[in-house]
Amino acid sequence: MMRIVVPLRRVLDPAGIVAHRRLRRLFINREEYLIEPADHCALEVALRIKDDLGAEVVAVSGQPEPDDETLQRGLAMGADRAIYLSGEGFENADEAVMARALKAVIERLDGAALVIVGMTTLDTGQGQLGLRLAELLGWPQVTGAWSVEAADGRLEAVRRSGDTYVRVAADLPAVVTVPACALKPRYPDGVRLINVYRGEAGMAESLEEWDAADLLTVEEQAPLFESRGRDFPVERERGTRVEGTAKEAGMAVAEALRQRLRR
Amino acid sequence: MDASYLDLMMAQQEEVFEEAEGGGGVWLVADLSGDEIAPVTLEAIGAARTLADSLGAYVYAVLLGDGVTPLAQTLYQAGADGVRIADHVGLADFAVAPYLDVLAGLFEEEQPEIVLFGASDAGQALAPRLAQRMGGGLIEHVTAVTLEETTRAVEATFPVYGGEYFEVRACPEARPQVLTIEPGAFGEPFLDEYRKGEPTTLDVEPVEPAVRVQGPADGFEPPEVSLSEASVVVAGGRQADSFELVERLAERLGAQLAGDRGAWDAGFIGAEQIVDVRGATVSPEVYVAVGIRGDTFHNAAIEGAKFVVAIHPDPDATIFEMADLCVEARPEEVLPSLLETLE
Repeated sequence: MMRIVVPLRRVLDPAGIVAHRRLRRLFINREEYLIEPADHCALEVALRIKDDLGAEVVAVSGQPEPDDETLQRGLAMGADRAIYLSGEGFENADEAVMARALKAVIERLDGAALVIVGMTTLDTGQGQLGLRLAELLGWPQVTGAWSVEAADGRLEAVRRSGDTYVRVAADLPAVVTVPACALKPRYPDGVRLINVYRGEAGMAESLEEWDAADLLTVEEQAPLFESRGRDFPVERERGTRVEGTAKEAGMAVAEALRQRLRR
Repeated sequence: MDASYLDLMMAQQEEVFEEAEGGGGVWLVADLSGDEIAPVTLEAIGAARTLADSLGAYVYAVLLGDGVTPLAQTLYQAGADGVRIADHVGLADFAVAPYLDVLAGLFEEEQPEIVLFGASDAGQALAPRLAQRMGGGLIEHVTAVTLEETTRAVEATFPVYGGEYFEVRACPEARPQVLTIEPGAFGEPFLDEYRKGEPTTLDVEPVEPAVRVQGPADGFEPPEVSLSEASVVVAGGRQADSFELVERLAERLGAQLAGDRGAWDAGFIGAEQIVDVRGATVSPEVYVAVGIRGDTFHNAAIEGAKFVVAIHPDPDATIFEMADLCVEARPEEVLPSLLETLE
């Protein structure tokens, strides 16, 4: 059966953070995490292939606790296995380290036909994980796929090319990156969700923890990047408040729009 | 006024660049926009020039394509000290495998210190693979660069959450340092028409692309118009009262209809119409937000809008922090008179 690996990352929910431009500080008022939206879409793409043709979908994550929440949600959506990479030093893994770890995971799984990754991260906008992995594996890459079909050792995808959409084909195995909002991810199945959290119906066995030290040497776990701080945009000025009744406000807005659009 | 004598004076000081020997240097991979050098490439040359001048290095540009040799002079005019050209029919259309093969072969030999790409589709597809192949670091969507002169590491700034704030990163050890330059972040350099050079043509034999383009995606339903390119956007939210009025306003203004994630949850719009850093980031001339409270995701996505009108009953709604024109009222009370006046 075809194996599809989907890396799932988590991202701090921006609804809980405030970037204060005047104080030039970041306030984290509520520390809540989401599945990276593009990764969420990537999982949905994998699950649709599984629904159509049958496949084993393996979700992999390697970020610090409470990362298992991410994987638990992945399992509840329909992933067959979820692998959590842990280990001292691994929590600082950047995209380059994570790509190496994923390669090692795929080798330990005895290969995969397809890796589907979110195209960019919501917070930093970096899109290098999938393509670094493609290079490490020596596999072809399809970037920004809006739809993916895979069968008989061949992949067909639709991606944007300038203003149009084109159909592309590649041989498997391959790495595909999916943009956020390419499609709407399904909601987790209620019964599966309960089973995942209770660890029943084989779900406890589906959630595996692998030690990163078994996959990568200490040198291989060293991140390439160093953070050198933050910067903030200039403070925005508040706009003009429209006074008067709602009707008058409507007329004033119409006039402003007309001027702006030179109607 | 006849200024031809100035041309004559300048022509006498025409600069012809002789390339320096040896590795290193700041390299950039040129992007094409139709038959011309893409603006982002010219902007990247400006950034490369700044870095190279601080490092005491040269700026080299690589141009790949079919029939692209005449474009080399534009790269010299923008500030490149040397240009390498891979002009081959096999490079006529962008594909990762042949382009990467040519670039990796060249850079293995030249051992660049810094490599810049434009953050275009091609640049974003090539840069990670090149960085990985050469063991280099990569920072994407860079909007500003400074140099740490002791380590010669580039400190690159890039937007986080669509520009809510910025993060500064560096790759202190990995070389080359690969960056993708965000379009519009750096100014376009002055094209000095007296700056000229002799490009070096590379002898290349491109490999076959691993991903084959089969043609237009017939049967695939794309989003109607790309929201991110719309010049007028009318967006509704959960508190829009009547989405029909929002649709009428969009129609009246000839605008693209959109919404926030709440409108999508309520079923008013499709996934491709979500204005949100997870969905579409917009930069229209006019953006009208009707009944949108304006969470961080949404507000970051309209950062590029030139003129924002917000209509929301709650005076504390965060959308007003983004708006040029703030209407603190229920949309159902404002929209009828707004539509009537427009009609």
